[in-house]
Amino acid sequence: MTVLFAQILQQETDLNMIIQTLFSFAFIVYLFYAQRLQSLQMLNQIEATLRRLKKIRDEARGISINAINEVGKPGVDISAKVDRIMEFISIPLTEMDPYGIVDKLDHYLKVNHDIFEAEVKAIAPNAAEVERQNLENLVGLTFELNYIYKAMRHNYLMGKKTMNIYIILQVHMILPLIMQLVESLTVGIQATREGIPIGDSVGPIVAGRLMKDYPKRDISKEMVSAEVPFDGRTLIVMKAKGPGGTVGTPDEAIMTALNEKEGKVKIIIMIDAAGKMEGEPVGAISEGVGAAIGGTGKEKFKIEEITVKYKVPIHAIAIKQGMEHTMAPLVEELAEGAEKAGESVKRIIMDYSQPGDIVIVAGIGNTIGVGQ
Amino acid sequence: MMKTHSQGGSAPPVTGITASWVNLAIIVVIGILSLVSLYFGFKSFIEDQITAYTYLLIGALGFAAIGYMLFRGGRPSAQSKMDIPRAEIITTLECPKCNLRRVRDFKQGDYVFKNDEPCTRCDGVMIISRVNRKKEPDKEKKQGVIE
Ligand SMILES: [Zn+2]
Repeated sequence: MTVLFAQILQQETDLNMIIQTLFSFAFIVYLFYAQRLQSLQMLNQIEATLRRLKKIRDEARGISINAINEVGKPGVDISAKVDRIMEFISIPLTEMDPYGIVDKLDHYLKVNHDIFEAEVKAIAPNAAEVERQNLENLVGLTFELNYIYKAMRHNYLMGKKTMNIYIILQVHMILPLIMQLVESLTVGIQATREGIPIGDSVGPIVAGRLMKDYPKRDISKEMVSAEVPFDGRTLIVMKAKGPGGTVGTPDEAIMTALNEKEGKVKIIIMIDAAGKMEGEPVGAISEGVGAAIGGTGKEKFKIEEITVKYKVPIHAIAIKQGMEHTMAPLVEELAEGAEKAGESVKRIIMDYSQPGDIVIVAGIGNTIGVGQ
Repeated sequence: MMKTHSQGGSAPPVTGITASWVNLAIIVVIGILSLVSLYFGFKSFIEDQITAYTYLLIGALGFAAIGYMLFRGGRPSAQSKMDIPRAEIITTLECPKCNLRRVRDFKQGDYVFKNDEPCTRCDGVMIISRVNRKKEPDKEKKQGVIE
């Protein structure tokens, strides 16, 4: 090697020329093709992610089909029907004239929900209600994964077709966020398949613990409530009807309860899972005011509207968790958080109401794996 | 379309970007050229300082470019650990009469607040008080959390 180098170095001037030419050449190439190289590199990374996403989607589809065959016993091949559901489209409302949009959204969401329910019922005719609700969640997750996959593929192919760095860049920039979203969905597959409580179930757990020894009634669609005596007060405790995977209709339940009591309710306490900030511990409790409910905002609007009408204050209890916990099987910190939140509920009742008052306690969230 | 009523929040960024062969080829070419350039820089230092500095500068820039390419967009991860994950789930049962507590593996059909099985110590019925994921031994140590 050294001999070779020594030989080379004897013709130093020639080599100098060659090296210099090479460098100049590389510089010129880079000057003109840097952007293209960068695009290719980004496209490669998008493609790798896309391939992974496809694998996850296919796996989720397989799990869904197996689950439907197992609990729904359709007796025929349902894979084509599952594929049809996965391609389901739901055309969003126009918001050109926002007047009355909440009622339109309410109607739109109900129709969506009913059709999805009917489709799952059709492919799993022998599933009990609880199993069917869990299947709806499972197929829903598969649907979402498929949608994300298709959207990503669209953008990837668009980028490849145009080789436009700005199109590619936009997809590339959101890749980590997309994979984060995908990860938060995939952890829900096991939970919905087997009916395990998830991070979002903490609200129903708190409510369920308060109401479990008292007679229940159906207060609105997929919602149960119980009147619970507590230190001279009457609590109207409500949650989605478990243990199937549903969020129920908390807005309608609160509206019904308030109307029935003609607004003579001292306070409303809402318990919900809420996103934590980085650095905050999982299962931490925050107390505050306001309608603690996520989702489309339709429920929040309705609850705010009725509480303004009757001038009832809403206390909020948030159980903090990361995006990766919301649909994943409940972690121990959150199970403990739900117990702590139960103490918070009792303290708020003692602090903000007197004996003889009526208090509404609503556990908000998906009640999968949580009875009452 | 799985519905939850959780209120939005932020979550940690996920790195999972793989390096491509294009990247690798460019790095290798620039690396070799930079090395040769540095060599000539040192070689000609005594005779001609201006040429030497030029070579050294080119070599250093080459390595800087490699560093930039390697560390931009995250380190290439060897294998994706993303598939559909399965967690170990445990069920905790409690007897409301004698407060006996028992933990067992989760069975399909278990749900929180279900009246499950007769108590082994008294004539009460055990109620499922918790269904949760088994705590994994702390894999990652806390790295300088600011509280
Ligand atoms: Zn017992």
